[in-house]
Amino acid sequence: MELRVTESTENELSIEIAGEDHTFMNVLKGALLEHDDVSAATYDVNPEQSGGQTEPILTIKTEDDADPLECLEDGAVTVREKANSFKNAFEAAA
Amino acid sequence: MSAEYDVEFVEREDREARFLVRGVTPGFANGIRRAMVADVPTMAIDTVRFVENSSVMFDEQLALRLGLVPLTTPPVGEFGEDETVTLSIDVEGPATAYSGDLVSSDDLVEPADENVPIIELKDGQRLEAEADAVIDRGKDHAKHQGGVAVGYRHLQRVEVEGDLPEFEDEESRIIRGVIEDDGELVSTSEFDHDLSNRYPGKEVRIEDVPNAFVFHVETDGSFPIEELVTRAADTIAERATELEDAVQL
Amino acid sequence: MMVPVRCFTCGNVVAEHWEEFDERANEGDEDPEKVLDELGVDRYCCRRMLVSHKDLVDVVSPYQ
Repeated sequence: MELRVTESTENELSIEIAGEDHTFMNVLKGALLEHDDVSAATYDVNPEQSGGQTEPILTIKTEDDADPLECLEDGAVTVREKANSFKNAFEAAA
Repeated sequence: MSAEYDVEFVEREDREARFLVRGVTPGFANGIRRAMVADVPTMAIDTVRFVENSSVMFDEQLALRLGLVPLTTPPVGEFGEDETVTLSIDVEGPATAYSGDLVSSDDLVEPADENVPIIELKDGQRLEAEADAVIDRGKDHAKHQGGVAVGYRHLQRVEVEGDLPEFEDEESRIIRGVIEDDGELVSTSEFDHDLSNRYPGKEVRIEDVPNAFVFHVETDGSFPIEELVTRAADTIAERATELEDAVQL
Repeated sequence: MMVPVRCFTCGNVVAEHWEEFDERANEGDEDPEKVLDELGVDRYCCRRMLVSHKDLVDVVSPYQ
């Protein structure tokens, strides 16, 4: 997973997350939207055949003084916790 | 924030299962589904060296057929990405070469189905080949897809609203999936997917239960259902950890 | 020529059922619908793989 920041201001961050697709990006976006300090989060992917930018670009906007990069880290933690608690719930039933 | 999930099995067999997950968002449900189809690595034959092939099919046609045979996938960590397992096959006609004729160099990697015909050999024809199996993801080739026809539907709640008007004809009401009736989970196959069989003469209302999804999962035999689902969850957790580490740097 | 190993659409392994299906429904006189049900080939995408298949090895082999 290679990260490349394409745009960065105090309250906004665009970051390219190489090697990922909708499977992870959509879950990550969902987790970011649940974050209290995040006012907007979205991602954009172009089809492989389109040429040009084909890696997903995640854009985060935050409220007040929250650092978007920190929010991204929190989002990743949320995704990990979700996946693990899903696994535990599944194993408990299995 | 850690989400609380609740999982309950509705149907369960070795290679096929239906289970209900509560408390899951549509986005996360789809992430799990996509991970099961494309991101759980399985073993499959990737390279074939033919010693003799006098059958009616070309080498590359047979290589494709061999590749599509599901192989049992060893536990996580047993195999690295560039390690291979060699399987050999040697059948002389008149006979049919089956996937069960593949002899593996490793007990952990065996054909999951023994009865897949590879090629029918006539008198004097022979197939002798060595094949290398590698571990890879469904994203790269469909032969590495562990999950087959993985999908989910909303859990549907059925409520009886009253009786049908006396002179109205009964109309069939087809739904598929799993319904919830007074907290009890009922697969629609039990009443031929027709609500008018289960509630004759009644007026019923159906609604989707929010954040409750019934997954239908099948595997190609590479591993049992439980393995597929837990490994799918693991791949998502793995990537989240990777992102966490990358952001911290 | 030979029966496809997997269903083109969903990826389910169908070839393992071919010989029994052929024997019972094509050679024999059983109802293909019932045979497929008993074999556990449920989806119509997998069912068409077996129903529409024709073995061609015997047709081709004289020209080897």
